[in-house]
Amino acid sequence: MTDIRESGDPAVVADGLQGNGHGPDDLTEGFVAEWRDSAYGCFSSGHKFCREVCPVMQVTRNENHTPTAFHANIVAMEKGHLAVEDVAEDYIHCVQCGACELRCPNTLFTGDFYRHRTRTVDVVKAMRALAVDSGVEQPHWKRWVEATMEAHNEPVVDGVSQERVRDWAEGLDVPIGGETILFVDCEAAFYRTSVARATALVLRNAGVEFGLMQEQWCCGGPAAEMGYVEHARTLAEHNLADWRSVGANRVITLDPHDYIAFTVDYPNYFGDQYDIEILHITELVAELVREGRLSLTQPVERVVTYHDACRLNKRKGIYKSPREILRAIPGLTFKDVDHVTQWSYCSGAGGGMRIERPEIADEIARRRVEKAADLEIDTLVSACVWSERPLAERGADRNPSIEVRDLMELVADAAGLDYGGVQR
Amino acid sequence: MFGFRLQAERPPEPRPVTDGVVMRLDDIYEIDPDRMQVITQQHMPVSDTLRIVDSRWEHLAWMHDHWADNVLSGEGEDQAE
Amino acid sequence: MSVVARSDSVVEELQTILGSDYVLTNRSSLFNRARVPAPFPVHRWDEHIADIAVLPETAEQVSEVVKIANAYKIPVVPRAGGTGLSDGAVPVTGGILVDIKRMNKILDIDLVDRTVTVQPGINMLKLNEELRRHGVIYPDDPASYPCSLVGGRIGTGGWSLIGARYGHTRDLVISMQVCLPTGELIEVGDGGGRKIRKSSTGFQLKQLFMGHQGSLGITTEATLELVPRPEAEFAAFFGYPDYETAYKSTGALAKSGLASLAGVVLFDEWKVNYLRRDDEAYIPQPPELRCVVAVAAYGTMAETKPASQAIMSIGKETGGNYLGDEVSQGDWASRHDRYATPLHGRTPDGQVVPMSWHCEDAAITYSALPMVREEWHAIAKRYIDDYGVFDDWGMFAYTNGAHKPWADYLVEIDIGIWEQRLDDAMWDAWVQCKREITEVSLKYGGSITACHGSTREGDAEFVPREMAGGFDVMKKIKRALDPNNIMNPGKNRLDEAYED
Repeated sequence: MTDIRESGDPAVVADGLQGNGHGPDDLTEGFVAEWRDSAYGCFSSGHKFCREVCPVMQVTRNENHTPTAFHANIVAMEKGHLAVEDVAEDYIHCVQCGACELRCPNTLFTGDFYRHRTRTVDVVKAMRALAVDSGVEQPHWKRWVEATMEAHNEPVVDGVSQERVRDWAEGLDVPIGGETILFVDCEAAFYRTSVARATALVLRNAGVEFGLMQEQWCCGGPAAEMGYVEHARTLAEHNLADWRSVGANRVITLDPHDYIAFTVDYPNYFGDQYDIEILHITELVAELVREGRLSLTQPVERVVTYHDACRLNKRKGIYKSPREILRAIPGLTFKDVDHVTQWSYCSGAGGGMRIERPEIADEIARRRVEKAADLEIDTLVSACVWSERPLAERGADRNPSIEVRDLMELVADAAGLDYGGVQR
Repeated sequence: MFGFRLQAERPPEPRPVTDGVVMRLDDIYEIDPDRMQVITQQHMPVSDTLRIVDSRWEHLAWMHDHWADNVLSGEGEDQAE
Repeated sequence: MSVVARSDSVVEELQTILGSDYVLTNRSSLFNRARVPAPFPVHRWDEHIADIAVLPETAEQVSEVVKIANAYKIPVVPRAGGTGLSDGAVPVTGGILVDIKRMNKILDIDLVDRTVTVQPGINMLKLNEELRRHGVIYPDDPASYPCSLVGGRIGTGGWSLIGARYGHTRDLVISMQVCLPTGELIEVGDGGGRKIRKSSTGFQLKQLFMGHQGSLGITTEATLELVPRPEAEFAAFFGYPDYETAYKSTGALAKSGLASLAGVVLFDEWKVNYLRRDDEAYIPQPPELRCVVAVAAYGTMAETKPASQAIMSIGKETGGNYLGDEVSQGDWASRHDRYATPLHGRTPDGQVVPMSWHCEDAAITYSALPMVREEWHAIAKRYIDDYGVFDDWGMFAYTNGAHKPWADYLVEIDIGIWEQRLDDAMWDAWVQCKREITEVSLKYGGSITACHGSTREGDAEFVPREMAGGFDVMKKIKRALDPNNIMNPGKNRLDEAYED
């Protein structure tokens, strides 16, 4: 007994012809066949533990934007009630933070047992890809991805180009190539360069040898998140080839979005041939501190709270290393909010939300900053450079203002390193 | 051990525990894969399994703390006369 | 009906009140506001969608929408979380679905008189996260605690896992503002004082607007109890070699007289077998473990610690084997997520299949528990053998009376239904199975539903029987309050109120 559809079960076959009188088209049929089990896994339950943890739902309170709806739509498409044109706009409303799929009891209580969990992030990506392949594109995402493919890096500021991708490292004499590559996310390479410089100097200070890519292209994550699968692959293939060409076998990421791309997307593209070790900076730095290779001796007199980056905490379960680092910084007053409470927190920066629905992303960021403000702190520390722009903007908007700093900037401060760069 | 290596993400082979239940990673029960022929199992790297198990216990601890300041034990000191 | 509902003039009038962003007529908005978690005839989904969905923000907007519905004689379907289990929020005759989730603000916290006033679209867990800093809690604790909303708890007459200690929704709501079926906004409470808990002024109207499944109006604001945050929680799980011993132990614990006792839960043999399928607490248990009783207590340290000792004594003296702290505490904490996950489902030959979950919730007296258990399992077995798409996930019996653990029980049998296989024949079989289960509850002097509601096929047919003379009173009240039958029609057989 394998696929129910193949059994010729009249209930299933007939249902596909309901609604508008003709069945789903080929693309949709393939999509529905692939995601059917996932869809029913949610639809047959429908208990909605996902809803209150969702940062988007907290703002819009619109059921169309729930993971429940994201899955139910697939069942509805199977039965001919809905087509991709009917639902594409709803799927804009997801930052792909992973809170819902983790919180869902189908993951949290039985996902490991059955090796079958809720995969809302994958469902959203797949539906967005179906939309793109079906000719239903979102205008701002389309332009963003086109610009990325042209410059090979994301248009995070005006004038992004390959020629300038290493400008952040001016004066630091970071070599090209080697066994260990530091991948410097587009937002850090072009916008908040203080993060890139702080990270480089911290690693050097601890005696970690690393180099940069010959041509660092965008990791491809955002294109994949927005449904542009082929473009994402093109970027990924370039990056892997670049790493291999300099003999690299290890990549250090300083941003969680890249960590996700390299540990989730790239294995899917490259399969068993993918033999690169990926280390995330917070885990590496926590170990360096533990081993005494990095000395944090300069007091940093701030009252801080930590923003758990979604792609570290929710999607990867990395929440200890950033806290370990913060607790090792002298002079800091650290008012923590536990990482489970933070399953429902977000900066709004992911999943293309800032690009296609900036007002929702801004409100998500504003609420995150207000939660920090409740603790009476002066600094919100994040370990995700993408989160820092929206959080800093909202932090500056309020009175009293709240400064947003990257964890590596504080580590560099505590190590007495003068990193410079542009810090916003 | 931290960091990502694709080779380390492959789960070990299952060994039987009870009827319908197996174990691959220590102390983590799983369904016997033979029982998942109508609905097939997903690809789930080791780190994902560990993330879910850790999250479950963290969530349960959070839920206790959400409801009360202290959780009494049915054994030991709390039960001493 | 739908032609009128979808007319441009209705949509325009609604847009004038709510803004066009909050009047939704597109297909995905309607298809995603149809089912609730209860088993759903997915093969007839399009028969259960509204014509328009509106997302109001204020009580006044709700009132204006209901007035329009009356003017045009269009049904209104109130929907809070859509996490209920008896289809109260499922449209059956189209109409305007009023989705109140945007109304999720905390309006007032009064620490002196111990009340919190909220809009109906707020979830209890989120509310309690805000209340924590004040050292208080709103202890309405269903299995859907992280996802159900206050308005839905009121509409369904919800039950709380810790109701033996703190009461259920109807005991925890002090007063509320209700939009009547004709659009007026009125206040109902115990008497007229918003923060008064006990009064004899006038009729006891508040309870009328509890558990009506949205058929008597829409709650637009509620004032709730603020209870001191518990200093201590205690949960103990005991194992038993047979049902009889577990059943007697349940009675002894429930009748212990402990004021901080929050609940006693009896798991029968089928339930323990079901838990052995995939629950890490039960997989390693020896085969001699056939039944389980879970007990919990909450309160100050001064009362809960001695209570925990009394519970341990009684449990052991009545034949219980303590399953240990890890199982007890872990399983108790998971009760707030105790919605069944679909992969618990098994075909008769043991294959995992995703199943939807019917959660029966009859209210049964202690003395009838053993017989109900036998008869329900026999019914389930027949349908499993005959149809192959059902599964018996065992039974729970929970202490039911608010503040009265010694009293009756919410008795649950969980039936898995393989929804991907549903067609008309299977659905009819399911409804027939449901009817047989209900007949047993009534035979033993019980109630069809402790908390979900009786609006579904398989339950609703029996409402006149259970309510007897009370059903005529229900019809009179319905007709008096809702002359045009627009407020969630087709539920609980109340359409009969209009048969002249």
